[in-house]
Formats: sequence, structure tokens, C-alpha cells
Amino acid sequence: MITGYFNYWVVIVLMMMGFYIVISDSNLIKKIIGLNIFQTSVFILFISMSKVKGGTAPILIAGADVYSNPLPHVLILTAIVVGVSTTALGLAIIARIHRAYGTVDETIIHEQDDLQDEN
Amino acid sequence: MNLRSSLILREVCRLVIPAVMLFGLYVQFHGEYGPGGGFQAGVIFAAAVILYALVYGRQKAQRILPTETVRYFTAAGVLLYAGVGVATMLLGGNFLDYDVLLQGHQQAQHLGIFLIELGVGITVGAVMIAIFYTLDEFCE
Repeated sequence: MITGYFNYWVVIVLMMMGFYIVISDSNLIKKIIGLNIFQTSVFILFISMSKVKGGTAPILIAGADVYSNPLPHVLILTAIVVGVSTTALGLAIIARIHRAYGTVDETIIHEQDDLQDEN
Repeated sequence: MNLRSSLILREVCRLVIPAVMLFGLYVQFHGEYGPGGGFQAGVIFAAAVILYALVYGRQKAQRILPTETVRYFTAAGVLLYAGVGVATMLLGGNFLDYDVLLQGHQQAQHLGIFLIELGVGITVGAVMIAIFYTLDEFCE
């Protein structure tokens, strides 16, 4: 049970770790890191699903007639690149927030916002 | 805490950075035979430059690889990728149809994927460095 679905257990553990970081920590940089861990778990889920039992890499070789599915690999390659771009965008927004508020801590940012609303 | 003040870090990086760059080139040029390719190689190569910039300071890194140059590389990689596609069209094939590049099927495929991955690697590496430079300049 555990060994047979090892990849999927890793996916669940990573996903919950990332999710916990996103909701528990008020530091925006750590939230981005949590989001990246969450994303990695989805990558592993897709890559694991593409494995075909007894299949080789999808390259034409003599004597091989069962191949793993290459489509999820290509999808995830694109997803990794998109992930890098969204991370860069998130970091750029955080850098802008840091310039405006002087902190990357969400609770302090909310406090400053509330103070501004009262005045 | 300043990263630049640590002597151990500086000396270890002096040893590690050339190895990381060499590994990046290996992943780039071995991509047709084994795991690897342009995306990974670009990121590994950029990681070496970013590590240098982190430890020795961005100004020093920019003296070797100025922002302007990085921007030119970003465009040059895309130009190489698209250029191969247009070249195959001019030679009478479809877009990115490598077979018209050379005589033999295998040699043509080899050359085609080599050039494409080189373009991808240059662009990905340059974009990673550009993102780092931009964020670092903004945060100063």
C-alpha cells in the first residue's frame, strides 16, 4: 500500500507542506516558497502518472515496443517555465510592496492599512 | 549579515562556480543523448552567475556581464530558434522541419535539435540573470 503508491504519498506530503506554509506564515517571501513547493508536488503527480509499466523512454530503439507517455513530461516542462515566470512576478510585486510599506510581513502591512483607513 | 564578508564562502565559490558552469555546458551539449537540454542548462548556467553576484556583489558581476549584454542574449536565443525555423522554410521544408538542413536524416535532426536547444539555453539563462539583476537593482 505505502510502497506501491510511494510517489503519490510524496505528492500529498509536499502538497500539504506547501499549503501549510502558504496559510500559516505571514512572511510574503515564505508564502512564495510554499507556493513553489505546492507546485512541485503537482509536477511529481503528473510525471508519476505518465509512467507506463515496463515502458522505456520514448526514443526509437530496437527491441522496445512499450514507451512511457511523453505528453505529461512536455506539459510539466512548460509548467516549470510558467512557474519560474509567476515566481519572478510574485517577487517583483513583493519588492514593490517592500518599497511602499518597508516590510514583507503581511500582518504589519494590514496594520498599516488599518491605520491609514482610520486617519 | 553580509554574504561578502565571509572568507570561506568566497573561497568555496571560487572553486564551485567554474564547476557549475562546466556542468551547465555539459547538460546543454549532452541534451540529445541523455537527460538535459536547453531549459535546464540555461538555468544551471544562470545559477553560477547569480551565485557570483550574490557572493561578490552585483556590480562585479555586471562588469563581466552587463545588463545590456544580457538583454541582447535574451533576444539572440529567440532569434536563433526562430531563425532555424525560417531557414528550414527557405530551404523548402516546413517550419522547424530539420530534414532539409543536411543530407542524412539523422545528421539533419542532430543539427536541428542542437541549434534549437542552444537558442533555448541562451534565452533561458539570460532571462534568469536579467530577472535577478532587475530585482536586485530594485531592492537596493
